[in-house]
Amino acid sequence: MARRGNPSSTINANMTPMIDVTFLLIVFFVVVSQIVDRDAVSMDLPSPEHAVAGVPDKQNRVVVNIIPLDDGEVAGIVVGGHTIAWDAMHELTAIIDTRLRGGATDVHLRADRSTKYSHVHQVIEAIRDVGVTPRLQLVINGEEQ
Amino acid sequence: MIIKRRKAGTMGLNLTSMIDVVFLLLIYFMVATEFKTAEESFPMDLPVRNHGHSLTLDNEPLVIFVESAGENPNDIRIRLDGPWGSVASLDELLSFLRKNKIGTFGSSGLFAEAHPILIKPTDETRWDHAVAAYNTVARADYVNITLDEPS
Repeated sequence: MARRGNPSSTINANMTPMIDVTFLLIVFFVVVSQIVDRDAVSMDLPSPEHAVAGVPDKQNRVVVNIIPLDDGEVAGIVVGGHTIAWDAMHELTAIIDTRLRGGATDVHLRADRSTKYSHVHQVIEAIRDVGVTPRLQLVINGEEQ
Repeated sequence: MIIKRRKAGTMGLNLTSMIDVVFLLLIYFMVATEFKTAEESFPMDLPVRNHGHSLTLDNEPLVIFVESAGENPNDIRIRLDGPWGSVASLDELLSFLRKNKIGTFGSSGLFAEAHPILIKPTDETRWDHAVAAYNTVARADYVNITLDEPS
């Protein structure tokens, strides 16, 4: 039996809904995605229960990252893209001094939750060595809503 | 003159390349997006160094010793310097601070809001335990809190 058909017609899928949904997804990801914060090094920050901390001002700041190792020890410090060896704390003081003279007002201190306090205190003392006293911000993880 | 008329047809844009680019963008954002909680911070004013000059304090600071006994948030040991009795946990520390704050309903009113409070963790104390103690004092609405040198 011969089939009847129109040999010249082509079957086209309607792409409009798919394009609509795809654009919606793109807009969602563009809005949600955060611009990479180059100053912040990835680490496991403290997240105390019922924290009463505020959202820090990201303008005019110097971010000091204490790079963690296992067992609470530290590998070094990263500040403003510069990596500083742990035994060269005077370099940290010099960099912070330069940034404060350049208009920075806050020093953000980021340390891993397992880091020993003695190391954190060494960094706080190096910041105090600058002479002028900036406002220190102890950075933590915000509580999940 | 004879004008030839074209047959009626439908004009359509070729969407293939646009869909390719759109899908590439979608995949890029799906891979690159990182969902994480926003960071917060505790402001702490650094005390000014006074090279060799002794300080005269109006109020004797309340000193809180902090020590880690393990890795969990509750593995924290707290001790108050002075005749204040013992506090076994952060919750007890919070109760003590609120109870003795001037102006709080039902309090005995020993410490003002700006009373100096020193937190003295040991060398080995984990940073999250030191921050937890700082947060507890801040929750009791004290404003003059300092992380002191290790005990």
